[in-house]
Amino acid sequence: MSTPTPALELTGLTKRYGDFTALQQMNLTIQPGEIFALLGPNGAGKTTMIGSVCGLVRKTAGTIRVFGKDLDQDAVGPRYQLGLVPQEINFDPFFTVAESLRIQLGFYGQRQDEARVDEVLKALNLYTKKDSLTRALSGGMKRRLLIAKALVHKPKLVFLDEPTAGVDVELRRDLWTYVRKLASEGTTILLTTHYLEEAEELADRVGIINEGRLLMVEDKTTLLRRFGEKRVVVTFQEPQTTLSEATLRFAPRLSEDGRSLTYVEREGAAPAGELLRVLYAEGQPIADVETRRSRLEDVLIEVLRGRPTPQAA
Amino acid sequence: MNVLGMQTLFVKEVRRFMRVPGQTVLSPLISTTLYFIVFGYSISGRVHEVEGSPYLHFIVPGLVFLGIANNAFLNSSSSLFITKIQGTVVDLLVAPLGPGELMAGFIGGAMVRGLVVGGLTWAVAGAFAGFSLEHAWVALYFLLIASYVFSMLGMLAAVWAEKFEQINFFPTFVMLPLTFLGGVFYSVRELPSPWNTVSLFNPMVYMVEGLRYGMLGRSIYSPLFGGGILAGVAVVATLVVYFVLRSGYRMKA
Repeated sequence: MSTPTPALELTGLTKRYGDFTALQQMNLTIQPGEIFALLGPNGAGKTTMIGSVCGLVRKTAGTIRVFGKDLDQDAVGPRYQLGLVPQEINFDPFFTVAESLRIQLGFYGQRQDEARVDEVLKALNLYTKKDSLTRALSGGMKRRLLIAKALVHKPKLVFLDEPTAGVDVELRRDLWTYVRKLASEGTTILLTTHYLEEAEELADRVGIINEGRLLMVEDKTTLLRRFGEKRVVVTFQEPQTTLSEATLRFAPRLSEDGRSLTYVEREGAAPAGELLRVLYAEGQPIADVETRRSRLEDVLIEVLRGRPTPQAA
Repeated sequence: MNVLGMQTLFVKEVRRFMRVPGQTVLSPLISTTLYFIVFGYSISGRVHEVEGSPYLHFIVPGLVFLGIANNAFLNSSSSLFITKIQGTVVDLLVAPLGPGELMAGFIGGAMVRGLVVGGLTWAVAGAFAGFSLEHAWVALYFLLIASYVFSMLGMLAAVWAEKFEQINFFPTFVMLPLTFLGGVFYSVRELPSPWNTVSLFNPMVYMVEGLRYGMLGRSIYSPLFGGGILAGVAVVATLVVYFVLRSGYRMKA
C-alpha cells in the first residue's frame, strides 16, 4: 500500500537573522488530515516556521514541500492549498466583512460564492456583521474575521498561529468545533497556541520547539503517558503517624500533619489502584481520594526544563 | 497565472480609492485647478504665447500630467505601504499571487486613479481654455506611459519605505523637483545653459512634451524620440519592481 503524500514536509529548515538563529535544521512531516500542535515559549521559532511555509519569511536553508511540491521549484502554486490565521490582528478598514471574504476568494483564484461566504460567516458567528465595515468590529470579531478569511477558500493545509489569543471562551469553543469538523473532512491543521488546553483538546500530535530547535514530536496520548503522571492524594479521617511496610513499598509521601498521603504514578510504576487496595485491606480510615492527571502544560514544562526527550521525528 | 487573483486585486484597488473620492480624486483635482487658475491667469496676462500656443493652452498638458503623475504614484505607494503597516500584506503574500499578479493589480489600480484625475483636470481646464486634441493616439500613449511609470515608482517607494517619513521622500525630494523642472509651466528651451541640457535627462520633460504634442500638435522634442525614451524607462522600472518583489526585499522577513 502506498503511503500518502505528506501535507507538509520540512527538511533541515533553517532561518538566521544575522547571528541569531530563529530556526535550526528543523525536520518535520505532517500527514494529511492531521491536527498538529506546535508548542513552545515566545520566540521559540513557531511563527518563523509558519512564515517560512506561507511565504512571509525567506528561509536561509532547507527544503519545504507542501503536498509533495517543493517551494523552491514553485513558490506560488502550492499556496492555493494554504490558509493562514496570523498571530497579529489585521483588517482592511475600507471593506465590509463580506467584501473581505469575497476578495480573499478572488485572491485564491475562486469565483464569487455567496453561499460559501455565508457558510463561513455563520460558522464563526459573524453573519449578523456581514455588511459591517471591518473597522467597526470588536477585537474578538476581528479575530473571527481572520479565521474566516483563512478558511473561506477551503484550503487543504491551515496554519492557525495562536488563533484564540485574547478571545472569549465561546469563540474558543466554536473554533474547536469547527477545527474538528475541518479535520474530519480531511483538512490538515497546524496549530500554535499558548492555551495548552487547546492543544490537548484538538491535537493528534504535538511538537515542542525551543530556541529554534524542534525538541520532540510525539503522539499526544503517548506524550502524556510517557511524560505525564497521575497524582493520587488520599485523605484520612484521622491523622496517621506511621505507614505499613506494604504501603511504604509504593514510596508515597505522608503530609506533615499525617492527614494525607500523596502517590505519584509515572509510566512503569505500580498503578495507584494497588496502593488503594492495600490501604483498604489494612482498614485505613479513608475520607477522600483525589486524582489528578498531568496535563500538556506539565509535560511542556518538563521538556523545556530538559527532561530526557525521545528523538524528534 | 492567477488571472482571477490579479483581477480581484485590481478591482479592490479601484474600489479602495473610490471609497474616499474626496481625498483621492476631488482634492487633487482642486489643487490642479488652482494651479491652472493662479498660474494660467496670472501669467497669461504677461506671457501671451509660448512655443506657438496661448499660455493658457500651453500649460494644460503639463497640468494633466501633474494630476496623472501625482495620483498614480500616491495610489500605488500609499496602498501598498499601508498594507505593510496594517499587516494586511500577509493576505497578499500568503495568497497565490506572484510578482506579476501583484504588479498588475497595484499598477492597474494606480493607473486608473491617475487617469481619472488627469481626465478630470483636462475637463476642468477645457472648460476654461477650450479643448484641443491634435493627435489622439499620441496623447493616449503619453497618458498611459506617464501613469504606468509613476505607478511603478510608487510601488517601488512603498516596498522600500519602512516609515511614513520615507514614503514621503520620493514625492518631496524626487518627484516635485523633477516635475517643476519638467516644463509644466514653461518651455525647457527657454532655460539657460546648462539647465536646458540637464533637462534632457529628466524623463518628465518627455512626458509633458509628448502630451503637448498629442493635445496641441506642437512639441520641442519629437514624440517618437520621447516615446522611445519613456518606453525604455517603463521597461527598466518594470524589471526593477518585478525582481524586487520576487526577492521579497522589505516585504518578507
